[in-house]
Amino acid sequence: MKSVRIIALRKDRKRLLEHLQNSALVEVTSEETAQEGFVRTDTSAQLKQFERNAELTEQALRILDREAPEKKSLLDSLRGRREIDPDEIGEIAANSAKITGICKKIVKLDHQMADNAAERVRIRTQIAQLEPWKKLDIPLNTPDTASVAVLIGTFPRGYSTQELSVAVAEASPDLIFEFEIFYSSSNLTSAVIYSPKKQKEQCQAALRTLGFTQPMNPTSKVPEDKVRRLLKKDKDLEEKREDARDEIAGYAEFRGAIRDTWDYFVMRSEKYKVISGLDQTKHVFVLTGFVPEVDCEKLQALCERVADCVVEFEDAGDDAPVKLRNNAFAEPAESIVTMYSTPSKNDIDPTPILAFFFYFFFGMMFSDAGYGLLMVAACSAAIAIFKPDRNMLLNLRLFRNCGVATIFWGLAFGSIFGDAPAVIYNLITGGNITMAELLPWPILDTQKDALTIMVMSIAMGLVHILIGMGCKFYICWRQKRYAEALFDTGLWMTLLVGLAVLAAGVAAGQLLVYIGAGIAIASALGLVLTQGRSKKGFFGKLIGGVASLYDITSYVSDLLSYSRLLALGLTTGVMAQVFNMLSTLLGTNVIGIIFMIVIFVVGHAVTIGLNALGSYVHTMRLQYVEMFSKFYEGGGKPFVPFETNSRFFKTDIKENNK
Amino acid sequence: MYGLFLAIIAAAAATVLAGIGSAKGVGGAAQTAMGVLSEDSSMFGKMLVLTLLPGTQGLYGFIVAFLILINCGVLGGDLPTTGQGLAFLGASLAIGFGGLFSGIAQGKASVSGIAMSAKDEANFSKAMVSITLVEIYALLAFIVSLLVVINIPALKI
Repeated sequence: MKSVRIIALRKDRKRLLEHLQNSALVEVTSEETAQEGFVRTDTSAQLKQFERNAELTEQALRILDREAPEKKSLLDSLRGRREIDPDEIGEIAANSAKITGICKKIVKLDHQMADNAAERVRIRTQIAQLEPWKKLDIPLNTPDTASVAVLIGTFPRGYSTQELSVAVAEASPDLIFEFEIFYSSSNLTSAVIYSPKKQKEQCQAALRTLGFTQPMNPTSKVPEDKVRRLLKKDKDLEEKREDARDEIAGYAEFRGAIRDTWDYFVMRSEKYKVISGLDQTKHVFVLTGFVPEVDCEKLQALCERVADCVVEFEDAGDDAPVKLRNNAFAEPAESIVTMYSTPSKNDIDPTPILAFFFYFFFGMMFSDAGYGLLMVAACSAAIAIFKPDRNMLLNLRLFRNCGVATIFWGLAFGSIFGDAPAVIYNLITGGNITMAELLPWPILDTQKDALTIMVMSIAMGLVHILIGMGCKFYICWRQKRYAEALFDTGLWMTLLVGLAVLAAGVAAGQLLVYIGAGIAIASALGLVLTQGRSKKGFFGKLIGGVASLYDITSYVSDLLSYSRLLALGLTTGVMAQVFNMLSTLLGTNVIGIIFMIVIFVVGHAVTIGLNALGSYVHTMRLQYVEMFSKFYEGGGKPFVPFETNSRFFKTDIKENNK
Repeated sequence: MYGLFLAIIAAAAATVLAGIGSAKGVGGAAQTAMGVLSEDSSMFGKMLVLTLLPGTQGLYGFIVAFLILINCGVLGGDLPTTGQGLAFLGASLAIGFGGLFSGIAQGKASVSGIAMSAKDEANFSKAMVSITLVEIYALLAFIVSLLVVINIPALKI
């Protein structure tokens, strides 16, 4: 990583920045305040404008997607961004005013629809409130006549005609009254009560004891008419809503243009963010940043091509960001490393080692040639057909490589869709053959040779851990921390190797036992002598040294952890075998064959889903917990270039770099 | 006679006990994950991974049960002796109880992991690795059951 300073004329600012953005070569850095003699341009107004527009287009797109959804398959998410010519951005910019107008219209229509929906809720409530009065043929606020009081209202329980007249008479025996019931349900009765005007007070008092209430906000219209009017209004609103929806759907043809415009605004706002951090004078501006060492020449050529400028490179300091660079084999695993942490300046890039073991262990756990073949085919096809963007492309390549390892281990374990070839062979010929007999090469049977595979797994774990410790040794040595390299790491490595030789000797021969024990005891003695070196006093040093041997437990548990290679490998094989067995249950008649195909497809899909997930998670854990813990620090800052963070289009980078 | 009966109990114990552990673990994790998804449905993939992690115990139990059934003659072959049946039963208890308790414990870790990833998606891989720390105990139990079960038919007991 180099730090770079570009000094250029202000008139070239726009052109230069646009090219830098398209090429994504440089990470722009900026101090809090301008250096002396320079000023900053305040772009916050423009920035806000662009951000507001970006938000508007985003909102419009969301409305459009809701009201007029686009047909999309799940696989479309693999598809890369549309590639466009840099000149097309000019067209998008020219169109942006028109598109913003359309977006505003869409958002406004959406607001109308929302208001509309709220209004309809209000209307419905009103209609519901008028329900008990539907049969009433006078307005609810009908006044008293010259001699008769008219009381319109409801009782909070159900009354029949007889019950009500009894109830009112009981409440006020000498009241003269007449009534009509218009509606009665179990908990509501609406009625009109007439009584002589001079008895109105008495009548009201009597009715109050029965819980009689008069409607709030009575209308001056006959209820039935009112309901009819409300229904009509509701229908109008409904139509308006449909119209608004149709109008929004009519804008669907602009979807592509709206997307491009959204990206355009995001792009512009990013550029203005950079501009606001540039130190400028009247005629000149200065851009500082970081650039990967390999890209220095490219950057210089680009800048000198598009502007009159001076480009200076310097060695970057400790705070420089980190960009990983690996060959095609290891590159896909970079995401696994950065998911843990970006390497710091002191670390070595663990990606190549991690990549190898990631593929290798994944393959051993997924371990089925058929599944591996499917993975390779599916990933390769997706890469060829959809031309995905970089991150997705790397993920697909990661799984393609894992697939290759899976095929390898599948063949070694004699598993091709479980024992499908043997099952089918037996079904056709009526024989009773196993995969071991069917395949021409010797296989390791995960069930019968479980112990062998477990020993293999732990041996591979030992290699994995030793490589991790070797990295630690190398890092310490490089930093001239020789004591740490030799005593803290080296002696443990020799101790582990000694124990491994000892274990091999137990199985193979007496000589190895002596050699192994010799190495192990010598290393252990070395550890006792050196591990207490930071302690004070003879006994402090001795106790520190002896206590350090206790760390052996953590190495043992790390090694045992690799037995998951066997466990998950076996799980895949057995699950596949179970489904193969189930699929042949109904024999070879027509129904049996159909049943077989269905169970075979569904069963293996389930097996792939569960075990691919398990293998992915566990291989990752073996890298992170067992290996990275031996040497990897992380905590570096990732390199974030100034680029177009667009969602829908990307400019043709090759075009810019030529 | 008794041998087969004991072997079938063994197969049932391995599946059921480990299955309960996984069911509790995945169930709790799924409840939390749905809470997160109701806020942000784009996290579905990550939530699915974290939810499924406590699901392996049930699988291990099932595989041990399957191996017991293969080795005990239910699916063809010699029937086990009473001694072998007892041995199957003993072997099944390792993954049965190992799976039961580690499944529940891993489910709790999953719930916390889901909450952590929901706050910041960058925590996802850390959550995932922390949750798999629990799994080693189910794996050890599984390997003990496995190594015993595949060797029982050769035992003269």
